[in-house]
Amino acid sequence: MVLDIISAVLIFLGAVLSLAAAVGLVRFGDLLSRMHASAKPQVLGLVLVAVAIAIQFPTWATVTTLAIIISFQLVTIPVATHMVGRAGYRTKHLRRSMLYRDELAEAVDRAEAREIAWERQRGTGTDHHDG
Amino acid sequence: MSEIVLHSLVVAGSVLLAASVVIALFRIVRGPSILDRMIGTDVVLAAIMCGLGGYMALSDRTDLLPVLIVLAMLGFVGSVSVSRYVSKSDSMTPGAEAGALSEFSASDWHMPRDADEQGAGPGSTSVPRARPGDDVTEVADPTYDAHADSGGEGEGTGPDPGPDDAEHVSDGDGQESNRGS
Repeated sequence: MVLDIISAVLIFLGAVLSLAAAVGLVRFGDLLSRMHASAKPQVLGLVLVAVAIAIQFPTWATVTTLAIIISFQLVTIPVATHMVGRAGYRTKHLRRSMLYRDELAEAVDRAEAREIAWERQRGTGTDHHDG
Repeated sequence: MSEIVLHSLVVAGSVLLAASVVIALFRIVRGPSILDRMIGTDVVLAAIMCGLGGYMALSDRTDLLPVLIVLAMLGFVGSVSVSRYVSKSDSMTPGAEAGALSEFSASDWHMPRDADEQGAGPGSTSVPRARPGDDVTEVADPTYDAHADSGGEGEGTGPDPGPDDAEHVSDGDGQESNRGS
């Protein structure tokens, strides 16, 4: 019975994280801020629920499957979030005024300058927009 | 006594999950861009996974574990594919950005700064432009200066060009391999 209550508490904490992510999704005003809010239940909430399941069913089959789920989630969530953030940056779905620092803009500027220099050195035309 | 505690915890968790799904659906409906809708979908999916896990833990249903794996894979594939093919001509829902942080206006969103370069692009007419007289955030913003210290860090390369960013991709893949070195 104590284990039931412990797992119920863990599930409740996962639900609280999910609600926090949803509230952050509505309250935050930027794509990147919303990504920051929405990543919490995807990892930590699922870990809590998996611990609850593992408490209820402490067998090898269940625990290994839960480990597979958690590791899959830990691997794929940063990739998906990175893709979303990169697409949002490229399509300018962000508020510049909410950024303290934009290091990616400096990197993009350097890469574009290098590209223009390379094109001029190659001599295939000075306008790099007509590719 | 412990029965009451257990049941109240389960009921409260269910209510919180349902509320989070409803709020995330609100963001999916309102979300100005398709990426916001994708994030809202991810939150809905995370709530579904949490609820399914709770159901599994409290009602002896360990046969539903593959469903969790499938849901995790579905969220990954969905967000990656949507963010891979989002383009600059995807317009935002007009007026949907109001209500989040009230001190920001519509011009803060910086929708295509180069809409004039795109000219008669197919999607450029439906893009909500900043209001006249309100487009001074680029100048008046003291915190953003992209060219402040561009020589500071090491040789960072730009991001891998997306499928629809034609101005970054002026050559083939050979240049990509050159750029990285």
